[in-house]
Amino acid sequence: MSTTAFFVPRTVDEAIELKREHGKNLVVMGGGTIVMGLVHDGQLFPKLAMSLARAGMSDVRRRDGQFEIGAATPVARLTELKGAATLDRAAGMLGGPALRTLATAGGNLFAKAPYGDLCVPLLAMDAEVEIAGTEGRRTAPLEQFLSRRALKNDELVVSIRVPKPRGRGAYLKLGRRQANTPSVVAVAVQVVLDGTGKCTDVRIALGAAAPQAVRAKKAEAALTGRRLDAASISAAAQAAQAECNPATDSLASAWYRREMVGVFVRRALDEVGRTI
Amino acid sequence: MATQLAVQTVTLQLNGRPHAVVAAPLTTLRTALREDLHLHATKAGCGQGGCGSCTVLLDDELVLSCLLPVVLAEGRRVTTLEGIGGPSRLHPLQEAFHDHFAAQCGYCTAGMIMAAKWLLDRNPNPTRAEIQAALAGNLCRCTGYVPIIEAVEDAARRMSKGAGR
Repeated sequence: MSTTAFFVPRTVDEAIELKREHGKNLVVMGGGTIVMGLVHDGQLFPKLAMSLARAGMSDVRRRDGQFEIGAATPVARLTELKGAATLDRAAGMLGGPALRTLATAGGNLFAKAPYGDLCVPLLAMDAEVEIAGTEGRRTAPLEQFLSRRALKNDELVVSIRVPKPRGRGAYLKLGRRQANTPSVVAVAVQVVLDGTGKCTDVRIALGAAAPQAVRAKKAEAALTGRRLDAASISAAAQAAQAECNPATDSLASAWYRREMVGVFVRRALDEVGRTI
Repeated sequence: MATQLAVQTVTLQLNGRPHAVVAAPLTTLRTALREDLHLHATKAGCGQGGCGSCTVLLDDELVLSCLLPVVLAEGRRVTTLEGIGGPSRLHPLQEAFHDHFAAQCGYCTAGMIMAAKWLLDRNPNPTRAEIQAALAGNLCRCTGYVPIIEAVEDAARRMSKGAGR
């Protein structure tokens, strides 16, 4: 193997310093579940590599119903996280138990479709990504971050900030097996209703329906201001189907994914409707 | 900071005893176990985290040894199938897998038993659904899973009767 150095920094500052020093030559991993797979597959030959697993960012902090999830928090820990809408559910449907021990919340932001399911409930909750570099810290909306995953040479994702969930949520995932499977599609919805039963705030997020997890904004617009009923749910499902941009791969064709986006947006909204 | 430059000696608490391996950067725990320590129960399967055949315990957590650089296991307890029992003294899970014909080609067996041990250590009396969830990361292409799940149920019964260790 041609990797000449493997860095295991003990603090975020050390990690940032290494990133500044080595820039693009340094392959960064959280738990290694993406990077090591690519190495074994012959798709990645890191000259230099760094693990963030011991850099002291594996804590979840909760304050006033908001969460600050350290980037190296194991997915296994998120399966036990109560009060973060459907994030625990999505985490529990990701891989198997041994993979969830290693895989990290921050690493999942870098997983390309049909992986990266955690981003789906996180988008439905309007999560933000906290990025640290030598100049200090900044935050970016998750949606914006996922569109390019742009980090400067000296920057790292250090945490995910999740606002207090509002309204009612649902998360559904379709794979090719019942467990331990990438997604054919994944859908998270978060719906706030006013006193008269009208939707005032709707978030619909899709996984495996585009190169990265995305919001289905036309579907959200189709529901906003309306009651959750068969007609409005159908309109939202059709809008989501029309606006998504899925790929064909070994799991499913683009055509099938688009059909399933419609079905699963409908089912997720039905589930929210039933809990009212 | 633990920086690994070129080869480095890594010490593991392996199956109850300290062992040292000399590893290059990014050498995985699986490679160290199989090729340096000659413990061949842990299998090399997909190398992608999809099959579970390399599953071992790191401290008390279930991990995929093919995805874990061995440097990250420095000083920690690693438990492989060889560490829970052997031909002269089988673990109740090994006995139950034998009795229920839960191994056919055997490639998934070590990973299955480690995942089952992890489950029974935390939950000595699991439901069938809990067994299925615990083994969800382990693929078997021979058995159809039914004998494996029955073996885990039986092992749980044997262990709760005090037959286990």
